[in-house]
Amino acid sequence: MLELHHWEPNTFFLKPLIALKEKEAPFTSRYFDATKFEQFAAGFPRNTESSLHLEREGPLLVHDGTIISSSFFMLEYIAEALPGADLNPGQAWEHYRARAWGQFLGLQLGALVSALGCAKYLAPVLKKKDHEALKSHIAVIEPQERRAAWSAVIDGSYDDKTLATMHERLKFPVKRVEEALAKTPWLTGPAYSIADIDAFAMLNVLPDLAPDVVSDKATPRVLDFLKRMRERRAVKDALALSKTGKPQEAFVPGAEPSRWG
Amino acid sequence: MLTLYHWEPNANSGKPMLTLAEKGVEYQSHYLDLLKFDQHQPEYLKINPDGTIPAMVHGDRVLTESTPMMEYVDEAFDGPPLRPKDPKERWRMRWWMRFFDSYFAPSLSMIGWSVFVGPAARQRDPAELKAAIERIPLESRRIAWRKALFNEFTEAELAESKRRVWYATGILEEHLSQHRWIAGDTWSLGDINGFNLGYALPLSQPDRCNDEKTPHIMEWLRKIYERPATKATWAKGRTQMAARVTFLERKAH
Repeated sequence: MLELHHWEPNTFFLKPLIALKEKEAPFTSRYFDATKFEQFAAGFPRNTESSLHLEREGPLLVHDGTIISSSFFMLEYIAEALPGADLNPGQAWEHYRARAWGQFLGLQLGALVSALGCAKYLAPVLKKKDHEALKSHIAVIEPQERRAAWSAVIDGSYDDKTLATMHERLKFPVKRVEEALAKTPWLTGPAYSIADIDAFAMLNVLPDLAPDVVSDKATPRVLDFLKRMRERRAVKDALALSKTGKPQEAFVPGAEPSRWG
Repeated sequence: MLTLYHWEPNANSGKPMLTLAEKGVEYQSHYLDLLKFDQHQPEYLKINPDGTIPAMVHGDRVLTESTPMMEYVDEAFDGPPLRPKDPKERWRMRWWMRFFDSYFAPSLSMIGWSVFVGPAARQRDPAELKAAIERIPLESRRIAWRKALFNEFTEAELAESKRRVWYATGILEEHLSQHRWIAGDTWSLGDINGFNLGYALPLSQPDRCNDEKTPHIMEWLRKIYERPATKATWAKGRTQMAARVTFLERKAH
């Protein structure tokens, strides 16, 4: 029994959807609206790891009763536990590269993409809602890091200076990806892997969120990578699961930026 | 040919050191003194342009991310397996390593840097320190070193780090009360990672981590400390920081 609890096919939620489609694995889609706090409702799958995982509101895979959280490790789990296409090809070196990309982009890009997306798309949506009702919803969220991440969207923590700094910091991880794609067609080498799924889910929103950072001029190889990814059947099928028709505008708080500055 | 560039058996450097020892893999050791900024010297930047440690060179391959490095060692070399076969346990091992790396460790190290690394490095000439910071390749590391060296952590940041360390200690105690090892029933890289993070927790947080309040953490740390690979790895330490591990010696009753 395989169930995926997910919201719109964007960022963290998009990753396992692509991987499951690549595997052609039969699964039950459990769609929830993360902006309506349905992930905090009674009956939603929950354990220590799913409550504390560092992407906050990300997808949950429930496999024969075990709750799998944290989207990159979910990709590794899907690659290792399910039959079908080999999504983590190669040997120790290629596997290291996939994990190193997962860690690097998860930390360097994941937090920035979520925050910039929330500021552009989620904050205006929440602004239209009843502020007191919203605050009371947020007040009971546990653990407090998840509560703080939601509060930041409505309390003005994303001021122009903070957003400008985050925008600037996108350049470093994006440059690394551009340089890697100059050497090999996919991130771990000649073969497509979970590292590409992971990166695509975060990079795919940047032509909209940061058109100066990801552009024909600045990052032609990243744009070509995005094009090649979007042409894959599995990616098309995953994106087609959108219920809003605008998955690229669906953001909820994700990993927090480094507390070291 | 395998070469490891590392500092003390502690935190990120200790992760591949203990993994290699558990695996029984010989390697050429290059000790870099973090407090003397050896990792930002031109010779090392030729190996790892980011100037972070550890780095592992295996043939023509350079590995610079410590946790993925551990999985590489397990996969690339013969020796006892250090990852569970069961994909669910393997997932749990990875989840906890990320929790250690990205939640627990940054808070614990912020406290450690404010009371240990910063004051130790501040013994040096301020102009020399400033120049040393300017040589750091990564902006994120420059910011971190500046904060540590010039004591720029705010009270609120340190208070939040303490809260997180105490919270994570409680979560870990609960986990180990339900599971023998981090991944579940199987000894794994998750335990190696966690030990590097937490071996000195009973010393740095004596009121929160002790036999009375966290008996499962204490037993887990002692079991890992008693492994021959752990003893051999911590014997490579050159400072008092690594020597703290002997605190885990069981007291004769």
